[in-house]
Amino acid sequence: MAVIDAPVAARTSREVNRQARTAWGLTTPALALMFLILLVPVVVAGVLSFTNYSLGNSSFDWVGFKNYDRLLSRSTYEKMFIATFTYVVVVVPVSVALGLGAALLVNSLGRIGDVYKTIYFLPVMATLLAMAIVWEFMLHPTIGVINQTLELSCGTFLEAIRFFGNGCADGFPLWLGDRDYAIWVLCFIGVWQGFGFNMVLYLAGLTGVHRELYHAAEMDGVKSAWERFRLVTWPALGPTTVFVVTISCIRAFQVFDTVEAFWPQGGGPNKSTYVMMFAIFEKGVQQNLIGIGSAITMLFLVFVMFLTLIQRWLVERKVHY
Amino acid sequence: MAGLSIRSITKRFGDTEVLRGVTLDVADAEFVSLVGPSGCGKSTLLRIIAGLEDPTSGEIEIGASIVTGTRAADRNLSMVFQSYALYPHLTVAENIAVPLRMRSLSAAQRLPFVGPFLPGAKEQRTEIASAVQNAAEMLEIGALLDRKPGQLSGGQRQRVALGRALVREPAAFLLDEPLSNLDAKLRVQTRAEIAQLHRRLNATFIYVTHDQVEAMTMSDRIAVMMGGEILQCDAPSVIYEDPNDIRVAEFIGSPKINILPVELGHSEMTLFGLVLARVAEASKAGVYHLGLRPEALKLTQAEPMITGTVAHLENLGSEVYAQVALADQTARVTLRATPAERHSLRLGAQVSMSFDLQDALIFDVDGTRQRRVEVALSNEREVA
Repeated sequence: MAVIDAPVAARTSREVNRQARTAWGLTTPALALMFLILLVPVVVAGVLSFTNYSLGNSSFDWVGFKNYDRLLSRSTYEKMFIATFTYVVVVVPVSVALGLGAALLVNSLGRIGDVYKTIYFLPVMATLLAMAIVWEFMLHPTIGVINQTLELSCGTFLEAIRFFGNGCADGFPLWLGDRDYAIWVLCFIGVWQGFGFNMVLYLAGLTGVHRELYHAAEMDGVKSAWERFRLVTWPALGPTTVFVVTISCIRAFQVFDTVEAFWPQGGGPNKSTYVMMFAIFEKGVQQNLIGIGSAITMLFLVFVMFLTLIQRWLVERKVHY
Repeated sequence: MAGLSIRSITKRFGDTEVLRGVTLDVADAEFVSLVGPSGCGKSTLLRIIAGLEDPTSGEIEIGASIVTGTRAADRNLSMVFQSYALYPHLTVAENIAVPLRMRSLSAAQRLPFVGPFLPGAKEQRTEIASAVQNAAEMLEIGALLDRKPGQLSGGQRQRVALGRALVREPAAFLLDEPLSNLDAKLRVQTRAEIAQLHRRLNATFIYVTHDQVEAMTMSDRIAVMMGGEILQCDAPSVIYEDPNDIRVAEFIGSPKINILPVELGHSEMTLFGLVLARVAEASKAGVYHLGLRPEALKLTQAEPMITGTVAHLENLGSEVYAQVALADQTARVTLRATPAERHSLRLGAQVSMSFDLQDALIFDVDGTRQRRVEVALSNEREVA
């Protein structure tokens, strides 16, 4: 037996080797591209974040953790973190909740639902840069539609409310020019622009909810819409929610075009809207400080990676039954 | 536990009439099957009884109260769905507890975190837990209580769905093709278990199925539905032996009943030119259908009534079914033979068959049973 087996075994192992070589051969182009366009730039950015390199310079000095140290100590960057996290913490929950609410409402409608779907999805399809210009006109302190509308309240009972009272006396907010309002306006536009996308994702998720589960819930004595939502809809939307939250977080971290359109000169009044993406652009591109730009980029990557890991963990543990 | 009565229920979806004035009375503790081909309206009827669908007209009465306008959650019925419809994020124990939680805990007591600490909640929760334990033991799924539905096999899920239905005491159980997702072997086993459960709980069961074997083996009465109507509602043996309609006769029984055309003249009945019987009483002359169950046909050598060649054989071990292509006819008949007779049944073999006219069912061309003709035939035979 052993005499017969040995060549067979050898042949099998040769066969396995050949298959493995072919497999690697076929994977190589994809691997090469992944290294070249994804991993190498990340590594380069990582290396550059420890230097004071500027584009066009023939050489650079190693500066160690000086760039990172600056990020954590200078007040500009403190404002950057505050602006970025305020934006993320406001826009993500609000746009997810609104997206879910809109999806549930649209889903309960018949044909008219399609009209709403289109309307809510319009801001997602529109170019944010163009929309930002429209918003800029609307938010103009004197000739903008918003302040003109608010001024209509002057002389009416609405003046009793402090906001309107102050506005009528001293003029309504400057919105984009006011450091107390600028970040909230930015958040509002972020929500306005983003929740339609979440709605579409949730609508897709809702089609996957088993209809018979609602009937089972009804037979089990579930009477209120809230209980039905808690028992059937929300658990069924678990995977969708994880995806929506992750994608919303990443999009919120990436906010850039509105900031660039409203405040091209640098991060809004008193740097109150100096978000990370804009900081990378300003330092790395406008001021040609590649080192510090790379350091912010690395930090940004860490945040996104962290979110992705949380998502993976949730998807694998919690939301798939 | 209560009886149920359904009075002239109609249901229209747009222009299509799914149910046409269905009336059915179900006694307390009775097991009634609604059986029929797909699209006959049996599931719609069950959903109307449950309250998941509104009838276009008609009334439903459970116990002594009319519930037509009442929503499903308030009708005190339990339902087992074809897909089981278990909540995928809850464990087996939590799934079974849902109907009790929804009915015996207040909205505040159901709240997460806070709920368990509200007054009265603890006793209620202990009661629910013991009810769940009892239901699980009755169905032998006690070991599975901590698993999620995704970790269970089809048969286990089916038991959990049953458990969720019987954990409280509803007025009636509604079952919508609960066995159709199980493999054949498990189906036979579960069939017996559901029948036993019915005897043990002594509750009213309404069971929808397209499988006539399930209906025959489990029910006290079978309601055969077709085209949105109940054609006949009777005990299984009556439905099989004494159907009112050719459609009932054809639907119930496997293999299907043999239908042969017979001609009734003024004085005799003929089958393919052969005189079967004489009729003295003047019955309406014309073409009729003769229904013969496969077991009514007997192989014979002397005085054959029909002859043909064996076209197909199915040997089930305990019995043999032969499809016989009739000589000079396009029709085929199915014959049930004992294993002892197997040697004479080979493919292509010539066989001769006879039958007792008493075993035959006679229908007119519209499919209505003609008992008067049958009586006339048997009277004549007795005289002869």
